[in-house]
Amino acid sequence: MRRGTFVRWGVPIAAAAVIAGAMGAGPVIAAVSGDPVLPERTAQQLLADAAAATKDKAGPPPMSGTVQQTASLGLPALPDMGGASPLSLLSGSHEVKVWYGAGDKLRVAMPTQFDESNLIVNGDQIWYWDSGDNTATKIKMAKGAEKPHALPTPGPADVTPQQVAAKLLANADEHTAIRVTNNAQVAGRAAYQLVLAPKDEGSLVQEVRLALDGETYMPLQVQVFAKGSAEPAFQVGFTQVTFTPPAEENFSFTPPAGAKVKEETIGAGGDAEHAEQQAESAKEARKDTKVVGAGWTRVAVLPATLADLTAKPAETPSDGKPGSHWKGGSEGADPSALVQNVLKTATPVSGTWGSGKLIKTKLVTALLTDDGRLLVGAVTPEEITKAAGTK
Amino acid sequence: MSTAETQERRTPGLVPVAETMRTAERRPSSESGQSEPAGPPVRLASAFWRLLGSELGLTFRRPRNQVMLAVVACVPVLIGIALRIASADEAVGGLIGSVAGNSLMLTFASFSFLVLLLMPIAVSVVGGDSIAGEAGAGTLRYLLAAPAGRTRLLVVKYLNAVVFAYATTVVVALSALVTGLVLFPVGPVTLLSGSTISVAEGLLRILVTVGYVGAGMAALAAVAVALSTFTEVSIGAIAATMILVIVTQVLRAIPQLEAITPYLLPSWWTKFDAVLRSPVDFGSLGQGLLVFGAYILLFGSIAWARFSGKDITS
Repeated sequence: MRRGTFVRWGVPIAAAAVIAGAMGAGPVIAAVSGDPVLPERTAQQLLADAAAATKDKAGPPPMSGTVQQTASLGLPALPDMGGASPLSLLSGSHEVKVWYGAGDKLRVAMPTQFDESNLIVNGDQIWYWDSGDNTATKIKMAKGAEKPHALPTPGPADVTPQQVAAKLLANADEHTAIRVTNNAQVAGRAAYQLVLAPKDEGSLVQEVRLALDGETYMPLQVQVFAKGSAEPAFQVGFTQVTFTPPAEENFSFTPPAGAKVKEETIGAGGDAEHAEQQAESAKEARKDTKVVGAGWTRVAVLPATLADLTAKPAETPSDGKPGSHWKGGSEGADPSALVQNVLKTATPVSGTWGSGKLIKTKLVTALLTDDGRLLVGAVTPEEITKAAGTK
Repeated sequence: MSTAETQERRTPGLVPVAETMRTAERRPSSESGQSEPAGPPVRLASAFWRLLGSELGLTFRRPRNQVMLAVVACVPVLIGIALRIASADEAVGGLIGSVAGNSLMLTFASFSFLVLLLMPIAVSVVGGDSIAGEAGAGTLRYLLAAPAGRTRLLVVKYLNAVVFAYATTVVVALSALVTGLVLFPVGPVTLLSGSTISVAEGLLRILVTVGYVGAGMAALAAVAVALSTFTEVSIGAIAATMILVIVTQVLRAIPQLEAITPYLLPSWWTKFDAVLRSPVDFGSLGQGLLVFGAYILLFGSIAWARFSGKDITS
């Protein structure tokens, strides 16, 4: 009887083990079969290949996949902003589906529960569809504006690894120790991993890992590790990717019957006033922005007061997210709520340079001085107060 | 075994009637089974289906279950009427808003409401009642006295709950479909992705939704049947299943616990919205079905381990 009982209960335990095994099988199989299948490359060779691939405007090969973005920056809990708000990308985990056809065909979909927002680029036709408010927005690029890939304001499209990688590659210089591993696995594909580690002690960044597909050299994953944590503080990468041209119907969009249709122009023309104003204020802000330090310990110094930040935070260049642009005024309250929330956790600091409020997250430290400067950098608090001393 | 022994000692005047493993698994070939020579597989199979048929008859003739199905069928009608009245006032967005424009969308909107609480209640009542109800009414040992075997009885009881789960799902879909056709215009369906599909394809996607949601409810039925084997009071098993559903729904709502949501059953019930995307997100549906399968395997084996070794005392 006793033995029978043990045997009998062995069945559910075995079932649990099988399920746990099936869940953990992916990484285990990847680890077991993770022998270096790719030929060895030096960092320089790989960087050259990658740079060639990014510079080549013919673009990456047609592909489709799922991009997952995870941020655990150590920010205080953000107010719930709804799935589609770009600001919500600052915390938690998000999934975006990407379809990329040849040339200028791109579809980015952000599915949330019972909702979906889509950005569809097909030649000069750009549509933004939001099922939440049943609105299709036709986005027109003003003449002389850049190619659709490089929207003046970074959109959800910017979370694809390509763009993030391109930005990071620009930073690779003498401040960085670079090494390459050739046995990474991303989305089931063998990949090179380019590891960039800052040499500077004052940086909060432990290392940046950039996974490049072994065949196409397309960036598949970007991970930013903060000092002293094993989990990446920020991660963008494909969880699933196929390099076959996606179906043509992904790039055709006609506003469905009954939907509200809006038109917006980016750059100049129709809705120019708003855009111009924004561009102007951004330009102005850029003029006032100073950069202290070099390499990874660069600290941006911008003029800002507490009142500025809480009143119209959308105009600080560090904000950089296009929420207000696409969603009209409806999202206007969110950034200020975010700033107020963040400021609540700030610790007052003072020194020979004056006094101010210090906000520390895993990756970024910000200092809002009482004399109206905002210092932001991926550096330790000591570095940032040092930067505050250099006028 | 030990509990049965102590019970015997405590009630010395009574003849112990406890049915234990040894008596249960013994095939009564000598007494009643003279017409069953060493179990030909055809006979066994037909006995299985007969047992399932009688179980289904009992389940669907039961007034309680009929009332539950009726209540579940009423909800899409209420949602339809409410949306019909509301849509006249103001345009609402999202899934709810799209109902006003298309009759088929009412089915998806109804599922999005019902799948959270009402359908799980109906399923856990039938699942939680399956074993515990028989034990509570004192009929379990008579069921086991028939040459059925415990494993077979458990499978029949579970399949009975699964059929009821699918019946609930189909009732919701049909009720919503009829209500939608009466109250709202028929035409091409606008998906969440902004593209449109024909009515026929819309109906096909409703069929896929019924299959997926039914599988999700079948997974819950496995949990309910497993809990049902642990008690002789059916309301205990039903309440325990409902509490599990509600607790997981609460856990799902806490943003800090986002990491555990993929392991919770209710997170996958609402994933049927994958059929409303273009292209249909079969990856998400497949993952959901795998989760349901894992739940059925785990809780099915727990139910079997418990039930096949249980001392049936009532």
